[in-house]
Amino acid sequence: MPTPRSRLARRQFLRRGLAGGATVAAPLVIPGSALGLDGTVPPSERVVVGGIGIGNRGTYDLGCFFEQKDVQFAAVCDVKEARRAAIKKMADDRAGNDACATYRDFRELLDRDDIDAVLIATGPNWHATMTMYAARAGKDIYCEKPVTKNIEQSLILKDTIARTGRIFQAGTQRRNLPHFAFACELARTGRLGKMKRVYAHPAGMTAISSGWLPAEPEPPKEQVDWDMYLGPAAWRPFNAKQLDGFNFEKGGGLVGGGVLEWGTHCVDLCQWAVNDRPPPVEYNPPKDGEIVARYDDGVELIFREKGWIPLGSCPVRFEGEDGWVEAGDSGKMVLSSPTLLAGREVAEIGGYPATFHVRDFLDCVKSRHQPKTNAVAACNAHIACHAANVALFLGRPVRFDNATNTFLDDAEANRLRSEALREPWRL
Amino acid sequence: MVAPSRSLLFAVMLAFVLPAVAGAQAPAGRTDKEREQIAILRAPAAADDVAAEGKRALACKMLAIHGSADAVADLAALLANERLSSWARIALEAIPDPAAGAALRAEAAKLSGRQLVGVIHSLGVRRDAAAVEMLAAKLADRDPAVASASAYALGMVGDAAATAALRKALPRAEGKVRSAIAEACVVAADRLRGAGKGADAVAVYDEVRNADVPVQRKLEAIRGAILARGDAGVPLLAEQLRAADEKYFRLGLTVARELPAGATDRALAEELAKLPPARAALVVTAMADRPGSTDVATLVKAAGAGPKEIRVAALSALGQIGKPGAVATLLAGATDADADIAAAARGALAELRGAEVDAAIRDRLATADPGLLAVLLGLVGQRRIDAVPAVINAVNHADPTVRTAALKALGEIVDGDRLGVLVERTVTPRSDAEGAAALAALNAASLRMPDREACAARLSGALGTAPVAVQVKLLEILGGVGGTKALQTVATAARSDSDELRDASSRLLGEWMTADAAPVLLDLTKTAPGEKYQNRAMRGYIRIARQFDLPLDQRLEMCRKAWEAARQPAEQKMVLDVLRRYPAPSGLDMAVTAAGSEGVKAEARQAAASIAQKLGELPAEAWKKLEGLGLVKRKLEIQKAEYGSGERKKDVTETLRKHAGSTIVIVLPDPSFNKVFAGDPAPGAAKQLVIRYLLDGKPAEVTIAEDQPIELVEPK
Repeated sequence: MPTPRSRLARRQFLRRGLAGGATVAAPLVIPGSALGLDGTVPPSERVVVGGIGIGNRGTYDLGCFFEQKDVQFAAVCDVKEARRAAIKKMADDRAGNDACATYRDFRELLDRDDIDAVLIATGPNWHATMTMYAARAGKDIYCEKPVTKNIEQSLILKDTIARTGRIFQAGTQRRNLPHFAFACELARTGRLGKMKRVYAHPAGMTAISSGWLPAEPEPPKEQVDWDMYLGPAAWRPFNAKQLDGFNFEKGGGLVGGGVLEWGTHCVDLCQWAVNDRPPPVEYNPPKDGEIVARYDDGVELIFREKGWIPLGSCPVRFEGEDGWVEAGDSGKMVLSSPTLLAGREVAEIGGYPATFHVRDFLDCVKSRHQPKTNAVAACNAHIACHAANVALFLGRPVRFDNATNTFLDDAEANRLRSEALREPWRL
Repeated sequence: MVAPSRSLLFAVMLAFVLPAVAGAQAPAGRTDKEREQIAILRAPAAADDVAAEGKRALACKMLAIHGSADAVADLAALLANERLSSWARIALEAIPDPAAGAALRAEAAKLSGRQLVGVIHSLGVRRDAAAVEMLAAKLADRDPAVASASAYALGMVGDAAATAALRKALPRAEGKVRSAIAEACVVAADRLRGAGKGADAVAVYDEVRNADVPVQRKLEAIRGAILARGDAGVPLLAEQLRAADEKYFRLGLTVARELPAGATDRALAEELAKLPPARAALVVTAMADRPGSTDVATLVKAAGAGPKEIRVAALSALGQIGKPGAVATLLAGATDADADIAAAARGALAELRGAEVDAAIRDRLATADPGLLAVLLGLVGQRRIDAVPAVINAVNHADPTVRTAALKALGEIVDGDRLGVLVERTVTPRSDAEGAAALAALNAASLRMPDREACAARLSGALGTAPVAVQVKLLEILGGVGGTKALQTVATAARSDSDELRDASSRLLGEWMTADAAPVLLDLTKTAPGEKYQNRAMRGYIRIARQFDLPLDQRLEMCRKAWEAARQPAEQKMVLDVLRRYPAPSGLDMAVTAAGSEGVKAEARQAAASIAQKLGELPAEAWKKLEGLGLVKRKLEIQKAEYGSGERKKDVTETLRKHAGSTIVIVLPDPSFNKVFAGDPAPGAAKQLVIRYLLDGKPAEVTIAEDQPIELVEPK
């Protein structure tokens, strides 16, 4: 098992930014006027950010935003009173004032003209719907994944972001980590030879059902706004077990297991490795722990549960006719041949930090360049996951037509392309 | 109120899911599936029976897959139900039969408030052209939510009648309804544009952008108006780039990236000179995103002189899209006194594609002054330009900066035949700095050598002539190269007289990346000079057994040998851990035997329990052996398990059930409860795991402190 590695310290990588090391990103261009002489950022160059649904993951994301000097955090919205208070305290402590506003209804936050961008880190039930509301309100959006609950939402999200001219970044931060970027570059630039297959790790393929749990006494609206928490999800009685957000109504509550949860990361990288092309056109149900999908040129996308080199969570593997590469969350990668590394310094950054992804987003808010996981890339990766889940759910192969975005000759599969939203919400 | 348990709920869901699969394979059965769900909808239930509501809700979801016109009436009957309306619409949006649309239209005439809004949305999703007249009338509804929803639905339908209705209503509406109508107009116009009806689309876009609507609606309409006009829309684009309001400028940057080649590129180039530097720099980034058509000459000019922010942006842009003609400008920038400009130029030179660029850089090597030569050598390395003779010449340059740059470049481009230059400079450097540079270069070069055995032979040959400190470094490089020769060399060094070499070699063998190091390590567990190195070899040997992809038999054989050679309980525990990770009957035997060793009794028992748990069914003789460890086959049923502290606890019953076997010992996959149970329910507090269970049918309960081994107690 050859493992040529070249280490670059995390601090060094941070200093170099993404223009150095292994990435192929265009150098970031921030106008010199953005930075004052003393290193502070003048108000005119700050990005004013609001946060919506800031729980565990959101707090981590927010920390990444707080690391950026040009971020001014203005407001937080959460249906839970305790979260509103906790985030306000964090923000006010950072800013040294009492200015962070709190909201229970995200629409009030979106109505504020002074907010440029929002961090959406609610549960996946709200992601797509809230992204569309934010885009229509003229905000740029960093949204946690999975972004959409079904295929139709993915397509509407892509169209809405284009129509409104907004910047959108899905929270698949591995696109902005050097070893994953390098692995994708090897595949994309032909250094692995003609591509044969790309592998993603779904980390469990069992569907998660949110279902209908026994009714419990509903807390006061100020404390937990259950109606707002349900949002676009069909009504059910209050039950505290469903308040975690993380698993609630993922993929519409029937087809949202590991294929969607982890696939949105791993498949997103696989999509990048094959040049962000339209998603596969053929999906097979699980067999021996694998879902095999095929792109229109025969390249396979394989959701594989086992057989990975132990490189940490969220591994991907890209195989071409001349070589292969495998990478995971440890920050390490393994190559089929040392020649693939070609002396490049590839920073080993484990722990999948989102800092660089957030920075990419903020730079794009200013330049209007498309961020790494823009709406088109996110749409394609999510469709691949949703279509694989449809094959899993139906227990048989399905074929997808990228021209019409429908399943071919398959009425049942097409009925799983979308799902009605609870009133009054819409996409 | 009768509420279903969670397990019952999952059973109910499964009952739905499985027939769905069966139905997919045998379409003839669909009618039965639909009939079953309709029967659930029709079943009598009290108004406050929430559990019955749950069944009806899930029936709606299944009818989205199996429903036909036969289910429509029962679904439509739920549309006025505040709780079940959206469940019903899940099915009514999905059922293709026109009866579903007709039912929604009929109910729209009766409903009001949120339920009406939902039905209108569903008509939009269905793109129900038959609803246009009704929806058009509702644009003037007194309820703004209803009027706005109708606008959305008409935009989704997007046919001529719907678009006409929206345009007519736009000037008459007020506030948020007007904004919703404007949005719908743009959605409809986008569809016209997509269908090639650009002129029709322009008319709609222009009406919206000239109307009294929020800025965001104007931006959407302006974008459409520019794109629909094509080249004729470029003046409108330029207008945005010059607009005082930053929002319009940002829209201009976005649209500039969407327009086709031609007039847009010319306009962007012209705007550079007219805009303030900060804006011009951002326009340059937009030009860089149009690599096929952007005006490179303008970028070259901007990169050469002018405000710094524009120069930096232009130099970066040239790296992305530049042509060989940009090399001179970039090389000039690369030696600029301003560090930001120099860095941007060097970054661009590293990125710039093309064999001509390589040739241009190579051609300048012979004539460049030392400052530029160091930059060029850096580029030779970064771009991996084939210029080995010239770079070897530079290794002997009078300027030390050039020599160091040359060594670094050589690391990236040298081939196996000329690797000796780097070996020689590593072993006999002119200075410490050059020695370090040569060593780093030799490391980089060695790792990419296609013939690693030849490379290892050359490195091994240099060992005898190098100082010990350099020998250590060469051994480290050999560790990275790997292969038979490297392994032999490092193994020999592990028995040398030098403690430094023994230390380095044993460390390297402990991290060896291929399993062929195992026999060497096993031998060193007995023959290495000194206990420290023998212990290190043992840990390295067990690491291979634990981490590498090996046939199970080979792994177990390694465990057996490791157990025989192990001298300390810590090593024995590591062997037991490998046995636990890879459960096998012979591993179970080893664990049972190991329980006789005084220092690892408890760990061996845990390992045996874990292996038994993972193996599942065991033959009678295996159980007999386990009895000696107090592990008897029992009938165990976990009833409830909670983890946490006080009120802050979580239900972990399902997780514990997954890991419970047929003995009173439960071994989790990780010692950390927080990890296994997916989170810390009570941060900072002392937590406990409370388990209620039936052991051979008798109830019992046990409390386990956080992260402690789980052993159930006998029922009282």
